[in-house]
Amino acid sequence: MTAPATDRPGVETPDSLEWLLEDPYQDTNPTGHHAILAADEHGVPLPTGEAVLDTWPANAEYVPPELGGRFRSVDTLVRRLRPVFRRDAGLGLGHGITSLMAALNVWLAGDAEQRARVARLLLGGGRISVAYHELAHGNDLSRNALQAVPGPHGYTLNGTKDVINNAGRAQAAVVFARTAGAEAAPGGRAHSLLLLEDLDALPSAVFRRLPRFRTSGLAGCVLGGFAFHGCPVGRETLLGAEGEGTAIALKSFQVSRCVTAGVGTAMLDGALFGVYRFARERVLYGRPVAAIPHARRLLAGAYADLHIAQALARAAARALHLHPATAGRYAAAVKYLVPRLVEDALGDLTVLLGARSYLREGRYAFVGKHLRDVAGLSIGHAGGVSCQLTVLPELPGIDLAREHAAPALFDTSPLPPLDLAALRLRGGRADPLLATLPAALDACGGGPELKGLADGVRAELDAVLGAAAALPVTERGVTAGARSLALTDRYAWLLAAAACLGTHRAVGGPLWLRAMLERIGQRSGRLPESPVAEPAAALFAELEARAEAGVSFDLDPEPVARRLA
Amino acid sequence: MTPRPPAAEAPAVRPLTGYPPTVRTEELERHLGPGGPLPPEAAARADAADLFPQAAVDALDSFGLYRSYVPERYGGGLRDYPTTAALIRAVAARDLTVAVAHGKTFLGAVCVWVAGTEEQARRLADRVLAGVPVSWGLTEREHGSDLVAGELAATGDGPRLRLDGEKWLINNATRCGLVTVLARTDEAGGPRGFGVFLVDREAQDRTSYRPLPKVRTLGIRGADISGFELRGATVDPVADQIGAPGTGLETVMRSLQLTRTVCATLSLGAGDRALSEAAAFADYRELYGRGLLDLPAARRTLTEAYADQLLHEAFATVAIRSIHTLPGELAVTAAAVKYLVPVRTEAMLARLRRLLGARGWLRDVRAGERAGGAGIFQKVERDHRIVSLFDGNTVVNLNSLISQFPLLARAHRAGREAAPGLAAAADLTAALPPADYRALRLMPTRGSSLLHALPGAARQLAELADEDPLLAPAAAAADRLARHAEELLTEIAGQPIVPPDVPAYAFTLARRLTHCLAGAAAVALWLGHHRTAAASADPADPGCPAPLWRHGRWLHAALDRVLTDIGPTAARPDPPRRDDAELDALDEAHRVLGEVLLAQVRAHRLTSLLPVRLAAPERADRTAPDRAERTGDAGRDRAAPVPDHAAPGPAAGPRTEEGIAR
Repeated sequence: MTAPATDRPGVETPDSLEWLLEDPYQDTNPTGHHAILAADEHGVPLPTGEAVLDTWPANAEYVPPELGGRFRSVDTLVRRLRPVFRRDAGLGLGHGITSLMAALNVWLAGDAEQRARVARLLLGGGRISVAYHELAHGNDLSRNALQAVPGPHGYTLNGTKDVINNAGRAQAAVVFARTAGAEAAPGGRAHSLLLLEDLDALPSAVFRRLPRFRTSGLAGCVLGGFAFHGCPVGRETLLGAEGEGTAIALKSFQVSRCVTAGVGTAMLDGALFGVYRFARERVLYGRPVAAIPHARRLLAGAYADLHIAQALARAAARALHLHPATAGRYAAAVKYLVPRLVEDALGDLTVLLGARSYLREGRYAFVGKHLRDVAGLSIGHAGGVSCQLTVLPELPGIDLAREHAAPALFDTSPLPPLDLAALRLRGGRADPLLATLPAALDACGGGPELKGLADGVRAELDAVLGAAAALPVTERGVTAGARSLALTDRYAWLLAAAACLGTHRAVGGPLWLRAMLERIGQRSGRLPESPVAEPAAALFAELEARAEAGVSFDLDPEPVARRLA
Repeated sequence: MTPRPPAAEAPAVRPLTGYPPTVRTEELERHLGPGGPLPPEAAARADAADLFPQAAVDALDSFGLYRSYVPERYGGGLRDYPTTAALIRAVAARDLTVAVAHGKTFLGAVCVWVAGTEEQARRLADRVLAGVPVSWGLTEREHGSDLVAGELAATGDGPRLRLDGEKWLINNATRCGLVTVLARTDEAGGPRGFGVFLVDREAQDRTSYRPLPKVRTLGIRGADISGFELRGATVDPVADQIGAPGTGLETVMRSLQLTRTVCATLSLGAGDRALSEAAAFADYRELYGRGLLDLPAARRTLTEAYADQLLHEAFATVAIRSIHTLPGELAVTAAAVKYLVPVRTEAMLARLRRLLGARGWLRDVRAGERAGGAGIFQKVERDHRIVSLFDGNTVVNLNSLISQFPLLARAHRAGREAAPGLAAAADLTAALPPADYRALRLMPTRGSSLLHALPGAARQLAELADEDPLLAPAAAAADRLARHAEELLTEIAGQPIVPPDVPAYAFTLARRLTHCLAGAAAVALWLGHHRTAAASADPADPGCPAPLWRHGRWLHAALDRVLTDIGPTAARPDPPRRDDAELDALDEAHRVLGEVLLAQVRAHRLTSLLPVRLAAPERADRTAPDRAERTGDAGRDRAAPVPDHAAPGPAAGPRTEEGIAR
């Protein structure tokens, strides 16, 4: 397979993974669906896929340029990893994205030597586990119990970390540990991050890698754990200062949330193509399924979901560079909404596949696998509610009169370098993405339908901000009731609308925008399903044309190796 | 016509005792015991290895569950469908794979009960009662739910017919002793071009019935999902043909009305299990320095799932009873219940999975316990996905409803009244007449009594709310639903249906129709049973569901779920915003639901509108070992601040875990 002569990558960056992984529908392709499902069946990472990622090498994507890697911007990273996630999310996460999650803490808080060593480790093909999770405490960092008791030479570790990717094979780990005594005042400074660079060097009497946790999806992730029993580690393992663990972790989360949500959208692109391909082949009631209006509506709906998810995920990823003071709020909103949207769209698609979505064999079994895997993606690392709880306290203060995002938030232009230190634990009152909404709604033009949709979004914006401003203090945190928490859902949908409005001139025009705003309204429960088929028909035509042309369905399409039958 | 006359005319309301579905469920539970035939680790190993759950199936055989698949008149124990369905639900709550593996015999046999002769029915009954599994060969590899396109052919061969062709994705195709096969009898096909044949594998040689290799599935991995190939299998054109020649498709469609209605209870079982797992987790987990149950948003997620389950139970209950009392309307009811209950249960399981976090997909972790196979939730969700796909999938059921739009619209215009059978379906004390299969209709010319009754039922609720003001929110919700149904029927009447190209929007209308029917069933059941429920209240029973019925609490919560799902419509783009008083009433309903749910799970009761005792373990064997290790940290985290003046949550009740394991 050779790449089409369009937009070949520059000198430094290697070919798109798309051409290394080749057409997934070729049964003989060692990194195709056939091989992926075989590995899934055995519950192991796809060895041929890992080999491709090793030689590419994917790890270089996680290392900043000044340390010798190719990690220039978050949205580029997402785009370059999409080919993996179209095929196998477990491969992408299992091979290395968790190494990025760990390394982000080092890029942010490590000293020069720690950073250089970790860069060397990654560029040499090594792995770092990121060890936050404890089964007893879920996403609640403040309750993490693994203790690092300070002593004259460093720390003594006691406790376990569970459900940690690559715990069985990583050379290194970033471990979130409680460094304050049990008697210490509660608060955000009780924990620290420790970088253990050589796990094999730890004495086996005091350190153990735990057996694998079996899951119902993401077989490419070998999840294990660490158990420490009085394990001594040196003081130089500390990342940043003692007590800064929570702050560092929460900033790293802002990046990893955007990455996870962004790459997850590629699963929808892969499944959408598969189900469309199936619908062309499958004849029911005397004609191809792809000719049935209901089937077309479902496919067009999933296509709209993909674009909404990507518009939002991309704006959030670019905000990390352009609006770091607010990016944490966007990252949380995106991690809450995007995986769920992808899951819902995948669920809709399985309706068309029918029983074949339930089989672990056959050409379209990968769609059912995607649906199992996406559940892990939403849970992994930061569940939906913890993301909502990040957003909720900030909603009442939002002031749209402050900063407005420039068009660069919505396009694919080169970004300033990612400055992790500029990220903030709490978003400010400015909301540059949402602030673009009123003017964009005024300017969106189009016919009466689009105007009606725009009016609806504007009314929703006023309603959400009004309700948020009126929230009593008890309704702004963990004690918030379901109705208050629902505001974060509505806020996320407003961000999605703003992202689509910001993006539409470059990608679609008024009919596309109409389809997106209608879909956002329907998915969020604000608008009824419409008897009018026009926008959906336009999306379906675009979907068919791209499938024929060998171009992905992404918001920013790229040539793909897959072929229609 | 309203489902039930006011109680003033019937002053002596007696408690519900000896209700057959409850009695038999409790017998089955006692028979199986708390652990069941397979310890979790062994069950998980069998699941991982795609092994048939033989030990569990044997345990059900020793209970005589197959007797519930055979009508009483042929010597079996199937007197009423609610009891059979309740047993299937109880099995599904333990292991949906086992329910599917065992219950298939009912699906395989049902064509014979519906359309077979007395002789054929007795012949089959004897085999089923001897424990022989029966399978049902409908679908083919290339045609799926498009049965009219089926290619397996029956052709003349002297005095015998020969069957040639393949059926695929057939449950128990390998293990069965008999199979009812839909076969093309007319080369040209068409609605009258098929027959149903009872193929006895004992009468065939090895080459004429060849089971196909097992198909590997995402869930129900142990089930025998395969197919078979017939090559010159021979049958007697009279003795083995079920129903008159050419009526095969009609027989199948009428039979599917029964099986679809019963299959919805598989979802109830999955919901029962998922709710008890989620409640166990919530009991165990502390987050942000307080119990998960003290976090209002998490608690609401749990109680909304319970409201979903109660809605589904109410709909399924009325639908299954209406097999006996409203068989002529089952074409609407069965398609609606088979669409709505599995699909809404999928959504409910997904929400509970998110509540459970990592435990929602870990296979060996459950609350504070780590042991092989302990992580059952992921299996419940995987297994359950089959329910919306088999025996008529989502598209098939909605299509079926769409094809009935003209009749429903006409019945509505004609101002039809509810048939008396609705009151009997909604009154659990009413005796059920035997199922009359001849009364099953492909097209319900009288429309749907649930819809006809809804406006009157809403008025009746409003009248009751005059006496009991706390009932007013439920009555208001019923009124909104009735208005919505009215608008929907108007919209349906204006929806052009030109087969085969059904407009996509018709599916939206059909979905809304199923929600109206579910809500209407809930209203009917509350009206039909609330006095009995009050009279059945047992303060000594920790899981007593009576508080759910008081002031229409469960009905309010269930209708709120229905109305939320319906959302805005083209006819009513801006549904009225609920005012604070109504939202407070809803909060109160959910508070009551939460208390009953946790009480039911802790006391080993079915998560149900009715009191049903499940097998209880004899000792406390599930504890939370790390609970004691927790620090006293009040938990303040920048990601999730706890305001200093946050009111402490309500007491969460006893935290013992012993009971939750089943």
